[in-house]
Amino acid sequence: MPYDAPGHADELTDELRERWNETIARAFASQNDTLKTRFFSLDPDALDEPRSTDAIKWPGDPGKPAFCVGEGNAQALSDWGLIGRRAVQLEYCEYMVVPARDETGALRPKRVEITTEFREYWACIAMHDPEKVRAMAADVLGAEPSWEELYGVADPHALSPDEREIAFGHTVAGHGNDRRLRVAGVPAQPTGRLNMERALFMTHPINGIDDLIYVAIFGAHAYCVAERDARRQADGDDVFSAFKVTHLACNHADPTISLGVYDLVYHGAQVAFQNPLGMYIRRPNLDVFSYDGGPVPQDWVHFSRGREGTHQRLVFGPPDEHDAFLDDITLSLGASEQPLVGGYQLLRELEIGPLMQSGDCDPIEPDEWEPLEPAPGAIACDDAQSCKPVRELLTRFEAAHAGREAPRTMPEPNP
Amino acid sequence: MAALQEGIYHAPGKRPGRHFGLLFLRVAPAADAAAVAAAVGDLWQMLQDLKVGRVRDLEGVSLPADKDAMTILLGFGRNAFDLDGVALQRPRGLADEYLFRSADPDGGGPLLRGSGLSYAPDVRANMATEGFCIQVIAESKLAVDRAVVETWKVLADRAEPVLELTRFYLGNQRNDHRSWIDFHDGLSNLRSADRESVIAIGPGTDEPWAVGGTYLAFLRLAIDMVGWRRLGRSDQELAVGRDKLSGCPIVGVDDGVPRTDPGCPVAGTEIFQSANDGPFAEPPETADPVVRASHVQRANHHIRPASDSGSRRIFRQGYEFLEWAAESPGFRAGLNFVSFQDTPGRVLKMLTLGGWLGGANFGGDVDAHNELARLLSVFAAGVYFVPPVVDGEPFPGAAALGVAVPAPAPSTDPDTGGAPAPPEEQP
Repeated sequence: MPYDAPGHADELTDELRERWNETIARAFASQNDTLKTRFFSLDPDALDEPRSTDAIKWPGDPGKPAFCVGEGNAQALSDWGLIGRRAVQLEYCEYMVVPARDETGALRPKRVEITTEFREYWACIAMHDPEKVRAMAADVLGAEPSWEELYGVADPHALSPDEREIAFGHTVAGHGNDRRLRVAGVPAQPTGRLNMERALFMTHPINGIDDLIYVAIFGAHAYCVAERDARRQADGDDVFSAFKVTHLACNHADPTISLGVYDLVYHGAQVAFQNPLGMYIRRPNLDVFSYDGGPVPQDWVHFSRGREGTHQRLVFGPPDEHDAFLDDITLSLGASEQPLVGGYQLLRELEIGPLMQSGDCDPIEPDEWEPLEPAPGAIACDDAQSCKPVRELLTRFEAAHAGREAPRTMPEPNP
Repeated sequence: MAALQEGIYHAPGKRPGRHFGLLFLRVAPAADAAAVAAAVGDLWQMLQDLKVGRVRDLEGVSLPADKDAMTILLGFGRNAFDLDGVALQRPRGLADEYLFRSADPDGGGPLLRGSGLSYAPDVRANMATEGFCIQVIAESKLAVDRAVVETWKVLADRAEPVLELTRFYLGNQRNDHRSWIDFHDGLSNLRSADRESVIAIGPGTDEPWAVGGTYLAFLRLAIDMVGWRRLGRSDQELAVGRDKLSGCPIVGVDDGVPRTDPGCPVAGTEIFQSANDGPFAEPPETADPVVRASHVQRANHHIRPASDSGSRRIFRQGYEFLEWAAESPGFRAGLNFVSFQDTPGRVLKMLTLGGWLGGANFGGDVDAHNELARLLSVFAAGVYFVPPVVDGEPFPGAAALGVAVPAPAPSTDPDTGGAPAPPEEQP
């Protein structure tokens, strides 16, 4: 099997590498059964004359809430701590703001931790190599976590791999919509502090590898629309309407992946994820950030969990020993100068995406075209039904913040 | 029913007129929204008359206007929404974060933090930031010029000064599809099918009155012609990302020599002809870092869908200009960059994001050719909201200025002779 650790972030033994590839293969099989296509390969080495594409990337900020309740409210919801993370950070990118107390004792944002790491990868390592996952966590968190913090038990070595996956799911990873874990009682989101107070890796089931593979395979078909006796390339409205998955059109990531893959396929290519399969953060233009009138110090911008071009983690903000806080950093946008108050602003300056490749393949045969009806109209991403959860969340947010002044400080955590 | 204003030539087969003018109108300090609405309404009506050959000072005279194909587009600037009595909130796309920075009072200064574009050293004030703008496009220069003069007349004739024509910029399209740097331009503009979804503000917004409108971004960009001509042909081609003669995209570099697809252009055609639209007009993706640094590759990362603002796709409608200048070479040549998009964020992010045009002035190998670090300089820059055309409004955006707009007349039912149809029977 072809895939190394995401971002080449970890040295894997042959066995761990095999387990990771089995995880990918399972996710692929679960989607490929229903969306089978010859235009997508799980093996990038099978591509003929492979070419990388940089077209499958998107802004990291959550798109759906902006459609439903506007950008200002989207920022408020996305920056709403763990609630926001779990409700709206659905673009294969999650973050938490690490707070600290200033000299007055007020809690203020200190750093943003952004992660694009798949829970499936961490869960895989946690199943098969507890020492390794503890070392990875220590590297990310800056301190070695206890076994209890990772597995909820004193000695994970005493558990079977399946039991470790369940234990790790309870504490750090959630169930990721994995049926076995759900049956075992693992909650959707973890209950331990390691991945609640910090952003260790992504936990929302939607940000999973199975969803990524699904939207990629979904796009890897020879769709077309017949109009006036001619065949034309389908657009997003046509594709998502035809399969009654209009919700996929209403964020940044899903349509970009599906339609990016489809664009390659329509022009006669086969597509695969490039090795290593992962979700990567493109380097932002740091010139838009400043501190005290000068550039942001280099050690305030820490990329990790990958090599250049394949980083999966960004920690942005001053270190603990520095007096400054995140909101002392200025973000210059257009003619405005704004304090950096949370992760949403930062995500708008980032692009996220997997590395993908296309290769030559046999031409699309006449009977391989999948004709679609043209969409009856543009998909409305602000429709009442699909926006209901976001609007309800906004109502909760407004109730929770009623009467508060817009603060530079953060709310005190619940006791 | 809200629709895009005219003057945005996005429909298949529609070509903009050859001549362009962009007029900037400043609001008098004491004027309120009602006074401005009256003045804009009067101006709008005059311009509509002009389109059909009627000039106010020439009563009863009909000018030959058919071949002018003049279009008029009205834009609202940030300041228009600060007027006393304005009825609608400033649209989000006119918030400071979507506007260009001001020029330094001493001259020059960055257009945006993170962009490689700067104001020209002798630009001390940006003259494209007024309350309103009027875009005039026509097939004849006279038609555009006449619109400028007639605009001055109608504003000057008002008893109380309300609007002042403070600046106008003119330009024209070349019939060779090239710009002043001799390369083809505008070839990889949006596919027709994608255009409206990029241009028009869609229903997914909390500003329903803006739906169907768009934002106009304008940059008056001068080209350092002396510096450009110091570059050899290959270096120019690598900076642009196209072959200088054929217009075909550069797809690779062999020993420093740019290479194009041998099949480009389609035999018997020129690159700007439709046969090349699919295969060649839009530069293909490339992994070659030298080619990726070129202008056309930085400006378009081929992201689908174009409707997502993350694609950074915009609809361009540029016009070249040439004017006298004191400094060498004795003239200033450049581009009136005009783009339309559902949010100005598309343009601003394209100009500032890493890997795109962020930090770049134009593109190409700046380390080897310092000329490319200052090839373009900005003489004016602005962002305007272009309200939709709404039935019943005397001019686009009138409701924002507090003009009462009559409710649409009830539709007549032929079966009832115009009387309202009875409610359908309940089962």
